[in-house]
Amino acid sequence: MKDPTASLVLAAHLALLSSISFGGFPTVLPDVRNLVTANGWATDQEFANFFAISQVVPGPNMILMMSFVGLKVGGILGAITSALATFGPPCLMYYTSYRLWDRFRDRPWQQIVRRGLAPLTIGLVIAGGYVMARAADIGWQRALVTAVAIGMMLGTRLNPLWILAAGGVLGGLGFV
Amino acid sequence: MTETVDARRVEDRVTLGALFVGFLKVSLLGFGGGLVWARRIAVERQRWVDDQEFAEILTLCQFMPGPNIVGITICVGSRLRGPVGAVAAVAGFILIPWTVGLAFGSLCLHYAYLPILQNILGGLSSAAAGLMIATGIRLLMPHRSRQTALLFAALAFTGMVVAKLPLLVVLLGLAPLSIAVAGITSARARTL
Repeated sequence: MKDPTASLVLAAHLALLSSISFGGFPTVLPDVRNLVTANGWATDQEFANFFAISQVVPGPNMILMMSFVGLKVGGILGAITSALATFGPPCLMYYTSYRLWDRFRDRPWQQIVRRGLAPLTIGLVIAGGYVMARAADIGWQRALVTAVAIGMMLGTRLNPLWILAAGGVLGGLGFV
Repeated sequence: MTETVDARRVEDRVTLGALFVGFLKVSLLGFGGGLVWARRIAVERQRWVDDQEFAEILTLCQFMPGPNIVGITICVGSRLRGPVGAVAAVAGFILIPWTVGLAFGSLCLHYAYLPILQNILGGLSSAAAGLMIATGIRLLMPHRSRQTALLFAALAFTGMVVAKLPLLVVLLGLAPLSIAVAGITSARARTL
């Protein structure tokens, strides 16, 4: 499975996706999942594992998650190219746009564009979460964990880390 | 004006090493909610930027593709020390946490076939998916009175999940429409 061509295809795809990942990388998760499973690089189960692990280590979660995909596809070099493809293009864009920020700060068109893009971004974030839930929730108990996690996140000010830990503990004890 | 002078003085003192360490901390502390720590360190502890400036940077980053928290890192770094500052801050944010995370993660993945680990990971990813959905719902709350916004959020969701279209198609298809509708509604709001 350590195929350099596959690593490059993955990196090129990630570079494109990261350049259009308005609302953060979670919005492109469904797309990455389609690419990865369609090419047989990883199973749905493995993809869900990548997601789970990247959520419990501190640091750049999505960059790390894509590095796990890269690691699976092309070893350590695959992991590095995936990481670079995930954060490189947005970094350049952030840098450039920060320099232009002052010039366009108060223009009305910018506010209209922002108002137009925001709902799309949000719909995509929810879609990303939904697709991951569909992959992870293999039974009603798991679906319940997802539902409770949504409720706790919205209804309490609990550190999300505890919600994640609770999910892991319930799983480890064999309840879900 | 004195504030600006003070700000400049702070900037002069900020070393590349301080930026590296500062954003290394943001990265390592920021389980699930990096934004909280980015503000705490950049605004409260180090006073690299003030609250208003931080809010502006955040808006800009939300408006751009890519991981927002990396964007904040870039903007604060470049605000203080220009291009090298941005590089130092991003290196601090990514280098060490990425290496540690990849090593720890691949170790876990190596043993992922073990039933107990499989169950833990399963429970974790169910919870993590829930957190992500909740974050989306939170973001939607300020827009809940705008019916067109809810419509376009639903269309984006449907295009991705039901129609399973590629992201680029969903964005290119819906963005012009959504922006046009936002333009029309705000123009109408002004004339009323």
